[in-house]
Amino acid sequence: MQQTSEPTHRLRARTFTCMGTVISLTVPTDAHKPPQAAADELEAATAVVERLFTELDSVFSLYRPDSEASRLVRGELALPAASAEMRARYEEAAEWRLLTEGAFTPERPDGGLDLSGIVKGHAIREAGTSLLALGMANWCLNAGGDVLVSGSPSPGTDVPWWAGIVDPADRRTLLAGFPLGGGFSAPSFAPAGLAPLSGKTADGGTRVALATSGSAERGDHIWSATAGAVEFLQVSVAAADVVTADVLATAIVAGGVSMLNRATVMWDIEALAVRANGELLATGGFRR
Amino acid sequence: MRIRAAVSAALASAGILLVGWQSGVHVADTRSAAAAAATGNQASGTGTTDSSGTASSGSSGSGGSAAGSSGSTGTAGAAGAAGAAAKAGGTYDGEVVQTRFGTVQVQIIVKSGQITDVTALKLTDAEGRSMQISNYAAPILRDEVLQAQSANVQTVGGATVTSDAYLTSLQAALDAANL
Repeated sequence: MQQTSEPTHRLRARTFTCMGTVISLTVPTDAHKPPQAAADELEAATAVVERLFTELDSVFSLYRPDSEASRLVRGELALPAASAEMRARYEEAAEWRLLTEGAFTPERPDGGLDLSGIVKGHAIREAGTSLLALGMANWCLNAGGDVLVSGSPSPGTDVPWWAGIVDPADRRTLLAGFPLGGGFSAPSFAPAGLAPLSGKTADGGTRVALATSGSAERGDHIWSATAGAVEFLQVSVAAADVVTADVLATAIVAGGVSMLNRATVMWDIEALAVRANGELLATGGFRR
Repeated sequence: MRIRAAVSAALASAGILLVGWQSGVHVADTRSAAAAAATGNQASGTGTTDSSGTASSGSSGSGGSAAGSSGSTGTAGAAGAAGAAAKAGGTYDGEVVQTRFGTVQVQIIVKSGQITDVTALKLTDAEGRSMQISNYAAPILRDEVLQAQSANVQTVGGATVTSDAYLTSLQAALDAANL
């Protein structure tokens, strides 16, 4: 058991609905602030995050016929004429397609543009940047099961946020846990590429993002690159940034074991994959 | 030339294979003597710091160079001594390679042009301690993964849930408890 102590601060959470799922922002209560001021701060922060998600959804949602993404899919708008935001996300997604050798792709099998595989991760990343800009050091943002944290649930300590990962066979139970953030929340703390991989604590300390993809996932933006039976029911990836975690989790579900091995060699991540038969594959950071 | 290419490629492969090894084998450094006995010449890798070592597979001039590399830690690639003598067999050491997992060096034994054994000579981190050089995702039992109960987590990760499914999710229970 890695968890050494329970958070001593009471947590407060706010939620809103966007992108077809629910986004939760959780913060520890600040004992040095009047309760009402702390509550107002959380309300204001949630409003900022919600507006950011809503604006991105209005651009990228394929469920809204009037969105820019929908107009692109219908051919009413060409990519070169699209907004800078749209082109930036396409460029980012296209780069990930190269890096994952096609396991992650911004296009559907019929060639239609679909950036939904990267938009939620991007929204979480932008929300995290906004929260830090607001001066908030300790928070946990969960968007439909993808998590980004900062600091600790117990401010002033190095206690990590402890994330549970649902069991795909029974979503009411947890398959595993993983520590996020804590003492060394700054990703740049670890010397690039040479962090000791055997140390779980140091390992978990460098990871602030955890993303999970499933083969039975909503909004089927995962296209199997293996063209056969799905190898993984669910893949969780912990990384130093949420887009990397999200994209690689998606890519591994689509690309199977070969993409899993490629991802663990190429990127500084921890991964936990659930095979179709329920067996687990895990990197060292997920071991007890 | 073909054999040298094959040996180089095999060494590069061995370097990749090493990434799959977890043991902390730390064999005494016998490379100089062994290599000298085998061929009398040795090529230095010309690759980049690419951890795979493949960049060095085509190092030029390895056959003719008489200046043996001392295996300085700055050079990369797993290209080792090869040359015509490889046909007769012998023991060859790869260059010391810096990877993101630490310092790696392998030794191969060649018989009749075939690699018959691969040994890790160096498999240590910067502090000289043995370390895991692989982050390979290996099969694991359910009771071997980091455990968590819903009562002691602050958030719940999982494949995206719809806003309807959220209502009955563990995350919803956590959020409700913290409202």
